[in-house]
Amino acid sequence: MAQIFKPAMNTICTLSLLGGAVAPFGILFVGSRITRSPHNTKVDNPLDQPIPFSHKHHAIELAIDCRFCHTGVEKNATAGVPTTEVCMTCHSQVWTNSPNLEAIRQGWETNTPIQWNKVNTVPDFVYFDHSIHIAKGVNCNNCHGPVNKMPITWKGRDFRMMWCVECHENPQKFLYKDDSHPGQSPRAQVFNFYKKLATGAKLTPEEHELAMGEVQKIPDDKVHEGYQNMKDRKVNVNQLKDCWVCHR
Amino acid sequence: MSSPWYPDARPYGVVGSFLTPEDLLRATQRASDAGYRKMEAYSPIPVEGITQAMKWDDNLLGWITFFGGLAGACTGVLLEVWTSTQAYAHNVGGKPLISWPMFFPVLYECTILFAAFGATFGMFALNGLPKPHQPIFNAASFARASQDRFILCIEAEDPNYEEKAVVQFLEGLGAQDIESVMTTEGY
Amino acid sequence: MSLKDMNKEKLVTGDWDYAGMDSQIGGVVLDPARHMEAKVPPFLAKFMPESVRSPWWVMFGIGFVFVNVLLLSITILVLTGIGVWGNNQPAGWGFDIINFVWWIGIGHAGTLISAVLLLLRQQWRNSINRFAEAMTIFAVMCAGMYPLLHTGRPWVAYWLMPYPNVLGLWPQFRSPLVWDVFAVTTYMTVSILFWYVGLVPDLATLRDRATNKFARVAYGMAALGWNGGSRAWHRYNHASIMLAGLSTPLVLSVHSIVSFDFAMSIVPGWNTTIFPPYFVAGAVFAGFAMVIALAIPIRKWYRLEDFITMKHFDWMAKVMLATGLIVAYGYAMEVFYAWYSGQPAELALLYNRGNLANTPYSWAFYALILFNIAIPAFLWSPKVRQNLKALFWISMSISVGMWFERYVIIPLSLTRDYLPSSYGYYTPTIVDFGMFAGTIGFFIFMMFLFIRYLPMINIFEMKELWHHMSHHDHKEHETVGGGKH
Repeated sequence: MAQIFKPAMNTICTLSLLGGAVAPFGILFVGSRITRSPHNTKVDNPLDQPIPFSHKHHAIELAIDCRFCHTGVEKNATAGVPTTEVCMTCHSQVWTNSPNLEAIRQGWETNTPIQWNKVNTVPDFVYFDHSIHIAKGVNCNNCHGPVNKMPITWKGRDFRMMWCVECHENPQKFLYKDDSHPGQSPRAQVFNFYKKLATGAKLTPEEHELAMGEVQKIPDDKVHEGYQNMKDRKVNVNQLKDCWVCHR
Repeated sequence: MSSPWYPDARPYGVVGSFLTPEDLLRATQRASDAGYRKMEAYSPIPVEGITQAMKWDDNLLGWITFFGGLAGACTGVLLEVWTSTQAYAHNVGGKPLISWPMFFPVLYECTILFAAFGATFGMFALNGLPKPHQPIFNAASFARASQDRFILCIEAEDPNYEEKAVVQFLEGLGAQDIESVMTTEGY
Repeated sequence: MSLKDMNKEKLVTGDWDYAGMDSQIGGVVLDPARHMEAKVPPFLAKFMPESVRSPWWVMFGIGFVFVNVLLLSITILVLTGIGVWGNNQPAGWGFDIINFVWWIGIGHAGTLISAVLLLLRQQWRNSINRFAEAMTIFAVMCAGMYPLLHTGRPWVAYWLMPYPNVLGLWPQFRSPLVWDVFAVTTYMTVSILFWYVGLVPDLATLRDRATNKFARVAYGMAALGWNGGSRAWHRYNHASIMLAGLSTPLVLSVHSIVSFDFAMSIVPGWNTTIFPPYFVAGAVFAGFAMVIALAIPIRKWYRLEDFITMKHFDWMAKVMLATGLIVAYGYAMEVFYAWYSGQPAELALLYNRGNLANTPYSWAFYALILFNIAIPAFLWSPKVRQNLKALFWISMSISVGMWFERYVIIPLSLTRDYLPSSYGYYTPTIVDFGMFAGTIGFFIFMMFLFIRYLPMINIFEMKELWHHMSHHDHKEHETVGGGKH
């Protein structure tokens, strides 16, 4: 019988078997890198806005409280984007001729809202409520990244379920506590953080991390404080990871 | 011209065909008795007793399958226990995190799956497959080894190999289509 | 043929040698003319051009048409959503799960024949195992479509598998539906491995017999360079036995786990311990029916009467009879449990099944009894077992009956559970029927492609059997019993 295949085919077969064994893992790895990359998650990608609004300038340099603009954050599911009127409380008096603010003045005169581009969003099947997170002392920066440093707003975290669950599983590691005002409500403590940043008060190492945009994590040797926080604030950890908590 | 890439043809062995499995078995036994060690019998159907006649045995595949099954069982258990206690510890209907009776089916299926992988891929690997090009395919009569001929090949690597003697030996056994097979491969 | 003659019948009849077997079985693949030999009924022949006037083309054509029906149904489903099916509240499961269980069941005969009968050294498996295994694979493919499509988003079906994902979620291993994923994928994988291992020596035969260059390369590649060396055979036999030993518990577990989908719930009529054994028996019952229904025409069209003999049909019919009785026992036990439990919900279910006058589904229950118990009872008669026409139609009746079994179990229990306020009715839609007909077409399509391109009978095992039997001709009983070697 004549040979059907050349000797090289043996090597090709072996190599393609090895390749076939390795390829799925390679493809899965590359795929997982792509789905997790900022290109897909849009993390750290600043969006163009009609007005180049700087959180850094307003919240820190001018020390305006978050709640001045995001009025719903303590009571509503959504924090709320400020209305044109809110902008005009100041900008009818200051920077009245700035070309950057032309869109606000236009909106004010024509009575049309400004079309901001949404930076942070969750899918429709996720029921997210800002008020409860603030009430239990989850700091804004924990989910939104280093807002205090943003000259233009970008998405600070990827908002994947894995990321949500990380905190819902171990909330003791992520609750913010202002050690200088321990008697205040957790909600008040959250906003104290931005006051500290604005006044340049001394920060604890955890607070410093939070300000830099790192995930604020209570170190393991202090984690008992986190548990105490949870207890004081009546966080029901047993329920926190149930499906219905976010998917109603 | 000889080079590592294009070696000269060298003898691979001598083949002879038989018509029935019994003849092949007898011939193999005789060859083994005559002191030949490096040989292989090719047949369209498995011939019972022929590996004993060649004084060759191998039970490695059983172990590969066993360890495949063991690996599958461990994979199943570790996957279930790790996911339900570490990766996503979730209270389901108040059941314990490690509900071993309910973990059994998946562990069972994993065991079977991995053992079957062991048996299949182990068999192919031990047989050196896939190997679409083989020196023995150079034998003219070999196409019938998968159909209706039972072929014995005494290989050149045998210490007692001497082509003329082997040809005579196979003739003495009543083999047909006796042929010396050449190979250009490195093995 | 009398019963006594039957017992003397051999598993391979006629006058054969190795080469003859190769050309008779392998020729179906290598020689296209073999597909043109059998005649099609005259009323069809009128419409068919000469070049395709053969049963193969008829069946392939039917399969192809219905594959397109399947694709159309799936397209409508995916573009519109699960609402195009008849599933509703409270019948969250309908045709999808009925057909899933039905197809998985049909697959079981293949593994049973190839694995269990190999372990039991039943030689009569040899001529039917290859296409029964192919049947398994295609049936499991058909089955697998339903749950995947029922998720509504089949393109993310990989979410069923455990892998580190951005949701941070892992399968819930306490759920029978997750067990199903593992059982069915394992079943599919092991069936393919077993089938391929069985094919390799035959592919080598085809490689060596093929004259066409493309066929030589294709079969040569698929045969992986199998040379039939004695060491290779030694390990090959080891691997076959071990795969058989692994497939046997697998095949029993798969339908048990499928039955857990129901038995682990608290729905009346589902929550019974009899489910796993009677699902497995029902699977074998349905599977053998399908093997017979396919074997009868194929054997005739390809002149394989010498390899698939009347003895095979006799024994397959007996297996059907036995498993059919187990299934009948299962039905009886369901009735008994319902009565013995004294539970109002179970008793109400019994009433809903049995009372022909006042309940919407009882017709299905009586259809089930007719197709699955009454008609197969004819198999008690040796004359019926020898009558291929009767056998074919009884097999068809069993296929229908087993489908009704699932129909009785699923929508009836779901629409008649504990709360009368949640009673409902299940009506399948045209898309449901399109999917069902489509999967049947897909099955036929794949089967006939398989018959065209791969040897449908295991050539080397038939040669081995023939050699074995011609060797032991003087000891007639041994060739009959098989198990005595």
